[in-house]
This record gives sequence, structure tokens and C-alpha cells, in this order.
Amino acid sequence: MSRVAEATRPAARAVPSARAFRLREWLEREAVFSWLMLAPPLLFLLLFLGYPFCYGVYLSFVRRPVAQPATFIGLNNFLNLYNDAIFWQAVWNTFRFTAAATVLKLAGGLGMALVMHQNFRLKGMTRALLLLPFIVPTVLSTVAWQWIFDPGMGLFNRLLMFLDLVKQGPSWLGNPTLAMVSVILVNTWRGLPFFGITILAGLQTIPDELMESATIDGAGWWGRFRYVTLPLLMPVIFIVTTFSIIFTFFDFQLVYVLTGGGPANATHLMATYAYSVGMSSGQMGMGSAAALAMVPVLGVVLLAMSSYVRRR
Amino acid sequence: MARNHGSDGSTSRRDFLKLGAVGAAGATVGAGWRPRKAEAKPEKITFLRESSYVKEFDEHFNKVLIPRYQQETGIKVVYEIVAAGGSAVPRTVSIVESKAPVDAAWVQQEWLYREGLLDVSDIAKDVGKQQGGWYSEIEGLSVWEGKWKSVPFGNIGQCMVYRKDWFDQVGATTFPDTWEEFLEVGIKLKKAGHPYGMSMGHGYADNNSWLLPLLWGFGAQVVAKDGKTVTLDSAETARAVDYVRKLYKDACLDDCIGWLDPHNNKAFLTSQISATNNAMSILISAKRDLPDMGKVIDHALNPKGPKGRFHSFVPVTHGIFAHTPDPAAAKHFLRWLMDPKQVAAWYRSAQMYHAPFLHAYDKDEEWNKEPRFKPYQKVLETGKLVSWPAAADRRFGEVVNKWIVIDMFAKACTGTPTKTVIAEAVTGLKQIFG
Amino acid sequence: MVGELTWSRRFFGLWLPLTVLFVFALFPFAWMAATSLKGNAELYDPTANPLWIRHPSLDHYIGLFKESNFVIWIGNTMLVATVSTIISLLLGVMLAYPLARMRFPAAGLLAITVAVTYLVPQTLLFVPMADLINRMKLGDTLSAVMLTYPTLLVPFCAWLLIGYFKTVPKELEEAALIDGASRWRAMTRVILPLCTPGFLSAGIFAFTLAQNEFLYALLFLNTSTIRTVPVGVTGELIRGDAFYWGQLMAAALLGSLPVVLIYSFFVKYYVAGLTAGSVKG
Repeated sequence: MSRVAEATRPAARAVPSARAFRLREWLEREAVFSWLMLAPPLLFLLLFLGYPFCYGVYLSFVRRPVAQPATFIGLNNFLNLYNDAIFWQAVWNTFRFTAAATVLKLAGGLGMALVMHQNFRLKGMTRALLLLPFIVPTVLSTVAWQWIFDPGMGLFNRLLMFLDLVKQGPSWLGNPTLAMVSVILVNTWRGLPFFGITILAGLQTIPDELMESATIDGAGWWGRFRYVTLPLLMPVIFIVTTFSIIFTFFDFQLVYVLTGGGPANATHLMATYAYSVGMSSGQMGMGSAAALAMVPVLGVVLLAMSSYVRRR
Repeated sequence: MARNHGSDGSTSRRDFLKLGAVGAAGATVGAGWRPRKAEAKPEKITFLRESSYVKEFDEHFNKVLIPRYQQETGIKVVYEIVAAGGSAVPRTVSIVESKAPVDAAWVQQEWLYREGLLDVSDIAKDVGKQQGGWYSEIEGLSVWEGKWKSVPFGNIGQCMVYRKDWFDQVGATTFPDTWEEFLEVGIKLKKAGHPYGMSMGHGYADNNSWLLPLLWGFGAQVVAKDGKTVTLDSAETARAVDYVRKLYKDACLDDCIGWLDPHNNKAFLTSQISATNNAMSILISAKRDLPDMGKVIDHALNPKGPKGRFHSFVPVTHGIFAHTPDPAAAKHFLRWLMDPKQVAAWYRSAQMYHAPFLHAYDKDEEWNKEPRFKPYQKVLETGKLVSWPAAADRRFGEVVNKWIVIDMFAKACTGTPTKTVIAEAVTGLKQIFG
Repeated sequence: MVGELTWSRRFFGLWLPLTVLFVFALFPFAWMAATSLKGNAELYDPTANPLWIRHPSLDHYIGLFKESNFVIWIGNTMLVATVSTIISLLLGVMLAYPLARMRFPAAGLLAITVAVTYLVPQTLLFVPMADLINRMKLGDTLSAVMLTYPTLLVPFCAWLLIGYFKTVPKELEEAALIDGASRWRAMTRVILPLCTPGFLSAGIFAFTLAQNEFLYALLFLNTSTIRTVPVGVTGELIRGDAFYWGQLMAAALLGSLPVVLIYSFFVKYYVAGLTAGSVKG
């Protein structure tokens, strides 16, 4: 008995350690490690986003007024959108709005990051203060912008009149073109600091030694920026841009509070349009279709991004 | 202990029956609340409303009505207020769709979810009988398929608000009676540096409340009485569009074409405009913050067109969600609330900001306290639902929420030809009415 | 820093652009501050300078504290934002790290699926989300938003982190693995510390969005005392077509300044990434 026990003991000891070894090795495999890491967030998202998302997709194929049962109507919601002039205006507006605001935010944000990537006193406080436009709740800051754009009392027109440039200031929210300029301006104002701080964080991860060796190799400011900084920053820039495209594309609150999509639909975006159809008018099916219509467009942008990311 | 509980329960139940009977006033006692079990009364009733412009109105509810109801019934009323300007609709829709634990509400845009509301015909009929009868136009909103789906409360009246001093200066000592005179005076006022500010943006009240009455006054209608036939494409509409374009160009501040509901208040209070179409909020603000201006503001009914004088309603109605766990309790609360003992003082706490749809308040004392508010009572006589001459339904809600009629005018103001804007509007309408 | 710093270089390279940035970013706050400190009569006075205060008063601030639950809203907002930021960062790292630095089957497909899901706007999601929250009996509790905000934040945190994870040279990790460290160790001890600035920027992003969020807060937080700042403030101070301008602006400022202070403390750690990066590829 005891001999048997003695004989089995080392084996018994060896098995778990071998198993542990194999477990460890198994865990070290890239795929296993990856999926173990991915499982919790994916489960969370499946529960809280999967169901609502699928429900939304389903809604876009039915006629479903609020509080009423759904009737399947195939692609009719999308056909109705296709035939709706306001929808196409919203699509066009969304493109202009997103493109202009993103370019402005990117250029400004890159500039802001480069400026702030220097040594000066009160650096932390300065960086945080410049984030204020991004911090203050949009519903509240937009209320302030309503006054800033005021025809007679607003800061812009007061400044223009004070400088004697005009007798009577322009109508920032009344003129269809200016109204679009105004919402782009506010979106840029709010989003630029985030671009700045995100790119700054990217700058900080670039090792100083790289810069130094580039300098020793005789690279000037532009050369260092072009051949060292920019390539290393590309992943961050790419992501923050894609990111901002999505957020700008979906921007709702700002336009809703500032213009409601007016005057005469000049600032109506796809998000505000989807809201006015799906929520205010209670056509949940149509509204979902309008919201879903945004996906393919953004999908293209994202595909471009992900293929870029995979190439690296 | 147990016995105490029992007796407490039965006392309150008896109170309930009594109260129900009083509230019904002439109706049968059965209309009162009859708990299913002795202890089955709910702990609380949640009542959702958009925050009122007049703060005292919400305070009255919180400080007087809630404690009173609790004292009388032992039930706590939770008063949930949401921001004005679009918060109420998504909130209500999500309540209906997800059956969230809210019992009663100001059912804004109720046509969106009437299927999710309880039949409250008994309450509406009794309240009407008891307090002078309802203004009949409101039935087009509250009554649906022969049943009252909501109990009307009041109209947030919209009429002309103007600076009497400036109107006097250009020789208009009484407010223009017709739209043509309104334009003439406006031209003079704009020359004098005091343009009108008539909202034409994507708001909800201040745009519809003058553009629709103007359209009707010119003899045009968006849809026929059947609620299906689109009748907008007419010579009368063309005349109304031409009129608005001229009014905008010659008499208005450029900015007003993009205004939401708060913008004209701001422009008026900052002395940038001489007249606008609004609720009584401008005068109330002015009296509080700008006493000098408060003295020179006055109100007038909308001017009349060739086919008469019109106003449009911004109605407030209260309804009960069909999914409330205890319909009888929720109905008891609403009936209690609409009882003259409660509702009269509640109306008055807001200086009649919500003009009651009940004839019993036509000559209420409160109207005499500030005679300048009286036009808001008169609005009820010529007031129509935005869907007029049709009843308010989902499809017309879509017309309003897509700003089809408003944008027809706004586009004309930016220079698009009359024919084009009407054709575009008709296309949009046909899509909705099929 | 490299290169000699002449005065003019400092001026054109730092002070001038910094001033322009400050003016652009902060002038609306000057207006907000002025408005919060003056009475309505002065605000409405067409002859008054919008940025100057003739009769300063703290009435709006006092009103805000006395007549509303502002202090409670601030507390709720901070709590909700902190919890949802932590959840989002944790889940974000777990999602981003493999996608950024590992090769495994279906990686590309997964990246796209995750990305596409997030393209669906809140306007489409909120009705089923409300249904879900109600079924879980979480309506009218802060947990409702603590759980729903990460759905908005995780994907974006993950994307941002992917970007930062990619800036770290692959050789660093390989070196650690050759030294016998496990993948977990390589991640937690080598890569993640290097990406501190990335965490901060993702955290700042998540925190800001969480304290800013309006729609879910409106739908799920109903009692005044459990509301967050945006919903509480607008519910009480935007009444009908009239706004309590002064109090709204006071709330906007008081709500944001604490966050600025917290951020100014955190952004200092942006340099942490530099010092931690002792192993160079």
C-alpha cells in the first residue's frame, strides 16, 4: 500500500505541474490570450448593445408607430427615405458639416498639441483649462452660443460693430449659409481641445532619443516633424479622426439646441432628421431606417481605417 | 399592532370612497376608487410634466397639492419634471414603449401614443359637466375613436405681444386689425429701427402659432376636414406665402427665420423687436426683470385675414398610461386633481398661463388681476388645433415635426419662388398622407 | 528641449499661438462668467457691454444652491462619471490590447463588427435600452446610467487605446517575452505603463462624455435628487420658452471647474510615459 502510495506520489505531484505548465503554455498562445481578454467586454457589449442594435435593425424593416404593433414592409422605409427631399438635404448637410468640422479640428488640434508639447510654467493647468469647451455640458454651452450669435447683443456682432466693419451685423442663425458656418464653428470649438490633448498624449509617447538622433543627423524642425513625429503619430491621428468623424456625424444635441435644423432645413443633419422622424413624429421604423442609413457611409470610412490598421 | 394596521387601512379606505364621491360630484360613487384588496393601494403615483414657465405653478403642485393628496389618501405623488423644448416627447415615448413605472403625465403630442393611454372618458365628461363644459375644439385632440384619451387642462395661449410705445410712435395707437395693416405698420416700425420678430425656425409653438392662423385667415388649409386630402396647393396659399415673404423682407428682423421658441423672448426683452407672437411669458419676465419695459408691453389677438381671425392651440392635456399597475388609483388621482377645489387654485398659481379649456373659468377673477392677459382667454374662442380643420392625429404630427408648412414660408423668405415652395411642401405632405 | 530658444522663437512658437488658443477656447466662458454675475436687467440691456459687469451680484449662484438640488446633481454626476469611466477603461483595455498587438483568427472581422455596432446612434438604441433597463428593474437608479454609459464609451476608449498601443514598438514586448515574462506580465509591466498618456486621454474622454450625457440620463433618472447636472439643470432652469440665463451659466461654470481641477492634476502624469519607457527598441 505504502509503496504504491509512494510510487504514485511523485506522479501525482508531477501531473498538476505538467498541467500547470501546459495551461501556462496554452495561455501564452496569442489566440487564447486574446480571446480570454476579449471575452468580458464582448459579453458586456453583447448584452447591452447587441439586443438594442438588433432590435433597431429589425425596426427599420417594419412599419412601427409608437405604441402600435409592427407590420413588415420590407425595404419600404428606405424607399420612402430615398424619395424624401429633406432626407437628401440632411445627407448633404451632414457631409459638409462633418468634413468641415473634422478638418478644422484636426488642423487646430495638431497645432494645439505641438504648441503644448513644450516646457512652460503652469503646463498642467493650461492644458486642463483649454479642455473647458469639451468639458462643459453641451446643452449648457450651446445656450451660451445662442447669445454669442445674437444679432444685436452677440459678441461677434458687437465686435464687428465696435471695429466699425459693419453697420448691422449679419444674422448668424438666420442666414442659411451662416447658420451652417455657425454650427460648424461651435462643433469645432467643442471638439478641438480633445484632438489637441489626444495628439499631445501621442507626442508624449515618442521617445526623446529619436528626436535627438534625428537632430544629430541634421534634420531641421520640419524634417523632424515630417519624418519622425508625423509617422509615429499616424495611428493616434487616424483613430482620433475616425472617431471624431463618427461623433460629428451623429452630433445631435448641438444642432438641436442651436437651430433645430433650421432655417428651412439648412442645418438639418441626419441625426436630427432621424430624431424628428423616429421620435417627434413617432415613426419608429422610419426613424430607425434613417439612423441606419448613416451606417454604410461610416462603414466605408471605418473599413478604410481598419485595413490601414491591419496593414501596420 | 396588527389591529391598528387594520383600522388604519379601513379608515383611509372609507376616506377614499367619500373623496371619490365628492370628486365625481353627481357621478356615481362607483367612479371613485375602490381598492381591490384592503391594503392594495399603491405607495405612490408618478406624475410627469414638462417644467412650467411659471415657476410658482410647479411650486404650488409640490408644496400644496402633493401634501394634500398624501394627507387625504396616504399616497405619495412623485412629480417628475423634465426640461421644456423637446425632453417630454422622448421621455413619454420611452415610458409607453418600455412600460416604465410612470402613471400619469402631461401627454405632449398624445396622438403619437394614444393606444398606450387609458380611456378617461368618465373623468373628462364629469369634469366638463361640473365646470361649465369644454371648449369643443379641444375634443379633436382629446377624443379619439369616441373615447377621451386625455383630460384637457389648458391652452398655453399664443397671440401678439408688442411694444405699445413704439407702435404709438408710428401712429398705430391700436394694434393692427388685419394682416395688411400689420404689414403697413411693420414697414414703418422697421424704418424706425424697431422691426418685428416673427419666428419661422424649427421651434414648436411660436412659429406655428402665427403662420397657421395667417394661412387659415387667407382662406387656405393644409388638409381637408377628412384628414386625408391635401388641400395646400391653392391660390390662397400662394397669397399667404407672398405676404409672408414681403412681411419678412420689409418688416422683420433678418434673424427671425432661424428662431426657436426661446429666441423671440430674448430678442424682445433686449429691445431688438417691436412685436412677436408668443405666450404671456414675455410680459411676466419683463415685469419681473425690466419694470420699465413691463409697462409698455401689450397683447393683442392675431390680425384677421380675408377669411377671418384665427389662433392656434398649444394644448396641455393630462392622460394616464394604460400600463399603470392600478388604473383605478391613477384615475382617482387625476379626478381629484381636476376637481375645482384643486385645479382652480392651480390654474391661478400660474396667472392663468394655461388658459383653462373649461368655460367655468372664462370670467375667472384671476383674469382681472392683469387685464393685459385677457387676450389669452379670448384666444380660446378662435383657437384651432394645428391640424384644423382635421382632428389631430399622428400624420399631422409628422407635418408639424417635419416643419413642412413652416419651411414652406421660410424658404420663400430666403428667395425661393412661391410655386416651388408650395410644390415642395405638397410633395412632403403627399408622402405623409399617401 | 533641443535647440536654442531665442526670444522670438519662444514668442512665435509658444506664446502667440497659446494666446490665440486661449482666446478661441475661452471667450464663451468669459461671457458665461459675466452673465452669471449680473442681474437679468443688465443682461437684457441693449446698451450694456456683454463682457462687462456693472452691478456684480452672486444672486444666480445663491439661487442655484438654494432653489435647486445642484450640489446633489454635482455629486451624482461625479459618481456616475467616475464609475462608468473605470468600467469603460477596464473593458476598453481588454478589447484594445489584443486587437492592437496580437494576431489571432477573426481579428479583422471582430474589429469591424465591433466598430459597426457603434455606428448606430443613440436615437436608434434608446427605446430598446429603456426596455432593458426596466426589465432589470434599474429604472430611476444611478446604476442604470452607470451600466449604459459604458456602451457608448467602451468602443471609443478601445479605439483610442488601440492607437496608443500601436505607438509602442513591438520589440519591447518581444524583449520582455524572451526574458521569460508571461504575456500578462509583459502587458501589465511593460506596455501599459508606457501608455499612461493614452489612458489619461481615453479616461478624460470617457469621463467628459459621461458627465455630459443627456438622453439616457433623461430617460433613466427621473427623481430630482438622483439626476445628473445636464438633466437636473435644464429641467429646472429651462422653463417653457424662457431660460434662467444667469443660473444656467452659473451651473455650467460650477459644474465644469471642478473637472478642470481634477484634469489639471491628471495631465501632469502625461510625462509618466516618458520616464517609464526605459527599455528602448
